[in-house]
Parts: sequence; structure tokens; C-alpha cells
Amino acid sequence: MSEQIHILCVEDEPDVLDVVVRELSVLEDVFPVEAAASSDEAREVLAEIEAKGGSVGLIFCDHIMPGENGVEFLVTLQKNENYRDTRKVLLTGQAGLDATVKAVNEAGLAHYIAKPWDADELVLVAREQLSRYVAARKLNPLPYLKHLVMDIVGDTLRDSLKSDR
Amino acid sequence: MPTTNNFQKMLLSKKNIGLVLGLGALVVMPFLSLPDLSPAGHVALGIFVMASVFWILEPIPIYATSMGVILAQVLLLSDQNLIKGWWDAQYEGGYQAPAYTDFYNTLANPIIILFLGGFSLAAAAEKYALDRNLTRIMLKPFGQRPANVALGVMMVTGVLSAFMSNTATTAMMMTVAIPIVARVPVDDPFRRLVALSIPVGANIGGIATPIGTPPNAVALAALARQGTIVPFSTWMLLATPLVVVTLLLSWWGMCRMFRPGIQTFTLTIDSKFQRSPKAICCYVIFALTVGLWVTEKLHGIPSGVVAFIPVVLLPALGVLDKKEIRGFSWEVLWLVAGGISLGLSLRQTGLAEWMISRVSWENFSTTGLVILFGLVGFAVANLVSHTVSATILVPIAIALVLPQAGGDPAALIIPIAIIGIIVSYSMILPISTPPNAIALSTGLIETKDLAKAGWLVGILGFVFSVLFGLLLWPLML
Repeated sequence: MSEQIHILCVEDEPDVLDVVVRELSVLEDVFPVEAAASSDEAREVLAEIEAKGGSVGLIFCDHIMPGENGVEFLVTLQKNENYRDTRKVLLTGQAGLDATVKAVNEAGLAHYIAKPWDADELVLVAREQLSRYVAARKLNPLPYLKHLVMDIVGDTLRDSLKSDR
Repeated sequence: MPTTNNFQKMLLSKKNIGLVLGLGALVVMPFLSLPDLSPAGHVALGIFVMASVFWILEPIPIYATSMGVILAQVLLLSDQNLIKGWWDAQYEGGYQAPAYTDFYNTLANPIIILFLGGFSLAAAAEKYALDRNLTRIMLKPFGQRPANVALGVMMVTGVLSAFMSNTATTAMMMTVAIPIVARVPVDDPFRRLVALSIPVGANIGGIATPIGTPPNAVALAALARQGTIVPFSTWMLLATPLVVVTLLLSWWGMCRMFRPGIQTFTLTIDSKFQRSPKAICCYVIFALTVGLWVTEKLHGIPSGVVAFIPVVLLPALGVLDKKEIRGFSWEVLWLVAGGISLGLSLRQTGLAEWMISRVSWENFSTTGLVILFGLVGFAVANLVSHTVSATILVPIAIALVLPQAGGDPAALIIPIAIIGIIVSYSMILPISTPPNAIALSTGLIETKDLAKAGWLVGILGFVFSVLFGLLLWPLML
């Protein structure tokens, strides 16, 4: 059995969260999409996924949220060994320069999507980032290949086909 | 009680049975007294049986067995043996033991160096995407008709796997093919046709050159031990027509088994020839080495000597670095060296002659021998590694053929080459070869598809190897 790789979306506006989850649902046959309205809820979701033996390959996170903001949440995740490879993307209109710099330097931010965004762009970013996640972890790309970007995982695929024989 | 059951299962596992049988043979054989067999022959027989059992039942990895074979020979049969007292009791005037370095030297056998050369070329080709670019160019003339695309894939895989390992070629071709084939409707047999044409091309293509696949090396090393050196170009001259004919017929048969539904298919590969100085060095050295190999007859530089040129030049020019050198399939070299080393003792202790004297082979013609060994080799190689099958069978076969050959090199080369080649056509089961396992792991084909194609390839391979070997090759040598 291959590992179940999830996508997590963190956004406090229920309407916006719905849109993100709906747009990403084209990937859901391979990468289950989970939603959380705050960083606290996001941690609960992460714990559930971990308990099931799955992993989180990609997080789309808003910045301005009640309680802990998005960048702080991503920084704490980066400090956790289990989520270091997880691709972290800010999906926001309101992250200032300081917060963005912090996200790049301390949370290993992989990508920044400014609101409003385009659905195709969102899905493309998701596919690219998930490909980088699979490649970074040297997972066998085959089970996920349907939605991965071949240019990114080609070498990983070849190596994993070749190894363990 | 379930725990007892599990315990029994564990005790009677394939691994444990192999371990006990193998070690048992090693310990017991020297104390038997088989008629007409020298004491050293008894020890060698123990090592031979242990190695065969270990290679087949795999209580330890097959390359570890090969390493163990060399160690066992050094510890028991060499001048540094640990059982001097026992030898003194066995032989009057002492046992004439070969130097322990003879066994270690098998690792520097010209055939091993030839493979090392092949490894470094393949690693460089892979690093600078030469393999992918050659695939793109060679596939172009095959056009867009699905059946022709499948033929192209098969031929290109065959050409590449003649110089790279079958496994690496299959992995590369699959990586190229999977994303494109995935766009074909799931119920279209074309998917299976392409996914099968890659392992078929890789297994058959490996036969074409001495470095294509290790069983070729096993056959060539055994011949070299008898003083019959087969040049690179001679092997290619014999093997290539056979490879082309069996590839074409396999393609024809597979197109009938898996009739493509779609009308046109374009296989696009995104890659460009790299232009960096290192990439150009890689192309030049690749072309130079292969050029020298295929023209061996003209300049007379043995392929084992030529092979060392890329081994030195590629790292010297920075084309390969430490990382890639560490990535060579070193275990394959050990695997072949262990076999060569075993062959050494088989001959030196008189074990090989003894084995033959047990059966009255006068009733067998060379043709009969080739067919018998071919069938056994084909059956065994479907179940265990091709290299292992060749390693066990070739030394016995060569000892049998030797008296009938009567000093004629062609009469020795032909049967041994046929036997070494037939094992490469064994690809019925997923475990038969790594390319099969790779093809299956992509999920594009099922085991039964593999079996259908495998039987076709096996029958064609067997029939044509024997036909070519007995009718055509005598005219060419």
C-alpha cells in the first residue's frame, strides 16, 4: 500500500475555503483534500491524518486569521521534523512584506498565491508542489502519477523503478 | 495452536530449508567417498552444491552467495586453506593447491572489466540524458501507426539494452512511455502492447553484445577459460541477426495478441541534446568505445582493454563523479566473478570431468546436448536469475562439449553461446527478470499478459537460437 498524501487548506472565511476545496477536488481521487478554519483546527486535522498513517504533502494557508496567523502556523510546522518536506503555500491578499519574508526564511515557503487567484493556476501550483514533495521524499511516484508533473518526477520515477529489484 | 503453526512455518521456510541444505552439503560432501572423485573434487562439489542451493532458494542475497563462493574456495581449496591437516591426510605428498590470489583475480577478469566499462558508459549516458535523446531520435522513423510505434519502442529498447543494463533501460523507457500511454483509453490493448514491448525489447536486446546482460559474460568467461577468446564483434555478428529476427517475430505475434484499438499515436519525448563540454565528452567517449568494440577484428585491441578507457576517461574528465561510480551495480560484478571462480575449481579439481563421467553422454549428439541444456536453462531461468542459471549450467555444459569439440573453437563457441543466450529469453513470470517486475509494477499490464508474451518470446527464442546456432553460425565462424 502506498502512503496516502493529503492536501490541507487553512482559511477562516467559510466561502473562500469552499471555493479552494472545490477547485482542488479535481485532484481528490489521488490526493484527499482536507479543510480547516483555523490553525488550531488545522493541527487537529494533521493529528488525524498522522493517526491514519497518512502524510500531508501540501498546505494552502491564509495569513490573516483569528488567533495564530498563517505565517506563524507555518513556522511552527517547519520546526516539526514530520512536516519539513510538506510544501507550504500562502494563499492570501494581506500578508505584508515582513510576514512574507518571515514565511520565506523561517517556514520554507514554497510558493505565494495572491488573492484573487485563478482556478487553473491553483491546480497547477498544487500539481507542481505535490510533485516536488514526492521527489523530495523519494517516494515511488507511480501511484500518484496521474496528477504529477513529469518534468519534476521523471528522474525519481526512473530511479524508483530501477531500485528495489 | 496458531503459534506452533507459525513456528513450523518459520522453521520450514524456503530460506531455512536452503540454509540447511546448502551448509549441509558443504560440510557433508568432503566426508563422502564418491568413486573416482578426488578429495579436492569432493570439497569443490560441496561448494558447488551449496552455491546452487543458495542461488536458487536465496537464504542470503545471490551476490552474497557469490562472494561466499570465493571465500569458501580461499578458505578450503587455496594455498592459504585452513584445513592443511585434512589435506595432508588425503593426499600423499601433499595437495597441489592453487594460489589464493587466483580466486580473487576473478574480480579483475577481462570480462569483469568489460562490464565495468559498460557500467561507466551507461552511467554517463544516463547522467547526460543521452539514452533519452537517442530514444527520441531513433523513434522518429517509426511514425504514428500504433503497431509501428510499438515496434519502434521494442527496437529502441533493444538497441539501448545491448549497451546498458536491461533494468536501467526498462526503467528509462517506462518513464518515457507511461505518461503518454496513460492517455490511451484503459480498455485499449495498445497500452499493454507498449508496456510489454519494453521488457521484451530489453530482455532480447541484451543478447546482442557481450556487455548486454551478465549471462553473455558467463558464457564468454567459460569459453575464455578454455582458451577460446570470442571478440566483441564476433559475438555481435552471431547474436544480432538472432536478436533482430526474434524481436520482429515477437512484435508480430504480440500485435496479434494485443490488437491496438486507436488509429494513430504520437510518442513525444521532451528532451534536447545537452551541449555542455562534459556532455560532449560523454558522447565522444561513448561513440569511441563502442566504435572500438565493434571493430575489434580490424585493430585487434581486445574489448577488455578498450573497456578500461571509459572507466578512466569519464571520471578523469569530470563526466562521472564519485556519486555515479558508487552507483554502479557492483553486486553484478561479484555475481559474475563468483561464477568464474567456481568454474575455476570445477576444472582444477577434476569435478567437471567427474560429473560428466557419471552419465553415458555418448548417446547425446552436440545438438541433443544443446537442446537438453537449453530446455533446462529456459525452465530454471524463468524461476531464478538469468545470471545464476547460466552460472550453474554453463560450466557443466562446457565440460560436456569439450571432448566432442576436439579442439575446434567453433564447435565450442556455438553450443555454449546458444545455452548462454537461451536463458535471456526466459521471461514468463514477473520474477523471471527485473524488466518484467518493472513492467508489472507500472500497473499497465497484468501477470497473465506477461505470461502470454513470455511464452511467445520463449518459444521463438528457443527455436531460433537452436536453428541459428546449428545452421547459420557454423557458416559465420
